[in-house]
Amino acid sequence: MENVGALAILLAFCFAVYAVLASVAGKWRSNPFLLVSAERAVYSNFFLLTAASAILVYSLIAGDFRLAYVAGHSNRAMPTAYKFASWWGGQSGSLLLWAWLLSLYSAIVVFQNRRKFRDMMPWTVAILMSVQLFFNLLVGFVVSPFEVLVQGRGIIDVGDGQGLNPLLQYWTMVIHPPILYLGYVGFTVPFAFAMASLISKQKGEEWIHTTRRWSIVTWFFQSTGILLGAGWAYAVLGWGGYWGWDPVENASLLPWLTSTAFLHSVMMQEKKGMMKVWNMVLVAATFFLCIFGTTLTRTGIVSSVHAFAQSPIGVYFFSFLAIGIAATIFLIVSRLDYLKTESRLESVVSRESSFLFNNLILVASCFSVLWGTLFPVISEAVTGEKISVDAPFFNKVNIPIGLFLLFLTGVGPLIAWRRSSVESLKRAFFWPTVGSIALIAVLAVLGIHHPYALMSFALCLFVTLTITGEFYKGSRAIQAKSGQNLAAAAIELTHRNTRRYGGYLIHMGVVLMFIGFTGKAFDKDTTVEASVGDSFRLGGYEMKVREILDGENDNYAWRHAKIDVLQNGQLVKTLEPERRGYKVSRQPTSEVDIWRRLNEDVYVNFAGSDNKKAVIQAYVFPLVSWIWIGFWVLLIGTIICLIPSKVRLQYARTQVVGVASKQYVEVER
Amino acid sequence: MSRLSNMLKSKGRLLLAVALAGICLPQTATQLVTPEIRRVGDKLACKCGACNNTVATCQMLECHYSLPAREKIATLQKTGATDQAIVNTFVKESGLAALASPPAEGFNLLGWLMPFIAISFGLVAVAMWFKRMSRPRPAAVVAAPSIDRKYQQRIDKELEELE
Repeated sequence: MENVGALAILLAFCFAVYAVLASVAGKWRSNPFLLVSAERAVYSNFFLLTAASAILVYSLIAGDFRLAYVAGHSNRAMPTAYKFASWWGGQSGSLLLWAWLLSLYSAIVVFQNRRKFRDMMPWTVAILMSVQLFFNLLVGFVVSPFEVLVQGRGIIDVGDGQGLNPLLQYWTMVIHPPILYLGYVGFTVPFAFAMASLISKQKGEEWIHTTRRWSIVTWFFQSTGILLGAGWAYAVLGWGGYWGWDPVENASLLPWLTSTAFLHSVMMQEKKGMMKVWNMVLVAATFFLCIFGTTLTRTGIVSSVHAFAQSPIGVYFFSFLAIGIAATIFLIVSRLDYLKTESRLESVVSRESSFLFNNLILVASCFSVLWGTLFPVISEAVTGEKISVDAPFFNKVNIPIGLFLLFLTGVGPLIAWRRSSVESLKRAFFWPTVGSIALIAVLAVLGIHHPYALMSFALCLFVTLTITGEFYKGSRAIQAKSGQNLAAAAIELTHRNTRRYGGYLIHMGVVLMFIGFTGKAFDKDTTVEASVGDSFRLGGYEMKVREILDGENDNYAWRHAKIDVLQNGQLVKTLEPERRGYKVSRQPTSEVDIWRRLNEDVYVNFAGSDNKKAVIQAYVFPLVSWIWIGFWVLLIGTIICLIPSKVRLQYARTQVVGVASKQYVEVER
Repeated sequence: MSRLSNMLKSKGRLLLAVALAGICLPQTATQLVTPEIRRVGDKLACKCGACNNTVATCQMLECHYSLPAREKIATLQKTGATDQAIVNTFVKESGLAALASPPAEGFNLLGWLMPFIAISFGLVAVAMWFKRMSRPRPAAVVAAPSIDRKYQQRIDKELEELE
């Protein structure tokens, strides 16, 4: 079985090589046979990698412990869902997942465009398959998931495996890595189209129109993956942290920041024909940061500059990055004539400027996270001494940047394209500004003096007022015209321009998340040793240990506490945290219990026991639920953005300064 | 057969014992996060390898680094050591890696300054872009059409009438 799997990867590697060569040769010699055969090689590559992945998953579920990967990441006692999740639980399996997802995306791209973009597609296929080639090379020859355990000259079966890391045995971990990978891998498609448009010297924005949905969908997967990871950390690690500025977390954030910048700046190109070079840079940066993120997580370079040499795949990743970045820079520079801006900037106070500042801040944020992540390695290489760059550094640098970005989220949509008058700015910002200042005053009177928290709450209100104001004004106009009620008018408004109003909802989701992040400034916690019947206080709650129970199943032994939560002497909730000891890995884990509410979460961790006493860590996390609610709003906003608008807005390009050129074309469908 | 079954049973018991021992592992409830300890602990990195927190904010009970570090801070504070002296003691033992953030001196100063240098460069680049983009494009050199003066006057008059 393992031979079939390894052979499938080997053949997939060959097909990827063929697809690259046939695409380039077919385009060069204008040979349609070669071009079609290259596209069929893409499908073959997908089927072969699907077969290899299926064999690995079958081996994990069936427990073929002759395979080193299965022995290292699965065991008999694990539930089937976690055995399946072991596919991406280790290095070679996760790289196979990368390769398989890319093959799936490539097959979809080829199928969707089988009759379109015939000039660009051969180059798109060649680029997609070049990346595929790299990952097939890794899983085929460097870190194969089908390596068997050998003793002397014989293959051995160890009988049972180590199992998935117990911390990863949690439902979000079953979906978090593949969703994050869907985002990481997905950005290869816009990158491939962008580079193909450069190679084929396309002047227009065809690649942007083609990949707009890809970009939004992959951005959404990146966002979901990051949030699922945060949710997992919050619920599993036992101390309620959802973001710790860990290098692996940072690796997922970096491409998200540049892809967010890209989704904004791409509108400048669509509407005004501006920032063409910048968009190329952003799409390429996002792709390479996705690869870089995988490099960071898989080579361990951040732990030490020396880890690079220890990792078998580090050299491959860095070579791929170096070659890819050099080729991209060469391509962009050599095609600058095709990337000339078509319009002029008419005023500094315009939507164009706000997009520019938004991009500057997002890229600056990306740079500061990247810099902080790599600085220990850089410093060690220069000074020879290890240093730590932990959460305090990232918080100090990124909180002001994040707050400024939040400010721009509110300001940007209210400034008109081309130019805004002082009067219109006054009209748009007067009430949001007054509201924000009033909120600061009220919160200060209520005893909140944390400067960043005050600023954050004020900006959240500012953005909320600007967004709701936009919805209200638009809905009222439709209501006046059609006589619909306000809710129906709001839906009609959104349907008429899904991109714009979906975007506003995404902004609203970000605002809600910021409310949740700000709650962190007011966390409370305590740790106590308590016997059955003992009670302790935290914030406005009294907590009483009612019962402690023991038990076991095939996978783990557990100890379970029942803790009554009382408010004003009344029982309001019983929380049941659990401590587990996994039998095979011998690793203890905590299953926290959380009473989730909109104002604050009560979070209890059964951290251990000493004779008859339970060690209980209790926390109150204000507003944290708004992070997850914000995610759902972001999800709805993204889906709305993907729905075609009822009314298509077309903006003629401004060719000469001072000439009014906005044309409004309504196409009723 | 019964011997094998006994062996398996005893192996199972052993695994259960190990698992239960794992559950009971974190037996120290003394978190030692008084405001004084938090003040110093916030400047020191938790080097347990599992988190990116400081000695003050690491919440893992079984943490093999932050708990002894907090105890050490408390002991040194009892002897009257200043905050800086305590931090220096940690740096002397573990090097600069003991600090939660790089010290703002020497090469490490660059670590703090670089994000702001990058933003400044970005602002300059944006300003230059604004300047370039705001400049009207040079008009194409076209020979001025020789409009008849009378014809021009007629156009002006008609435009005025239109208004």
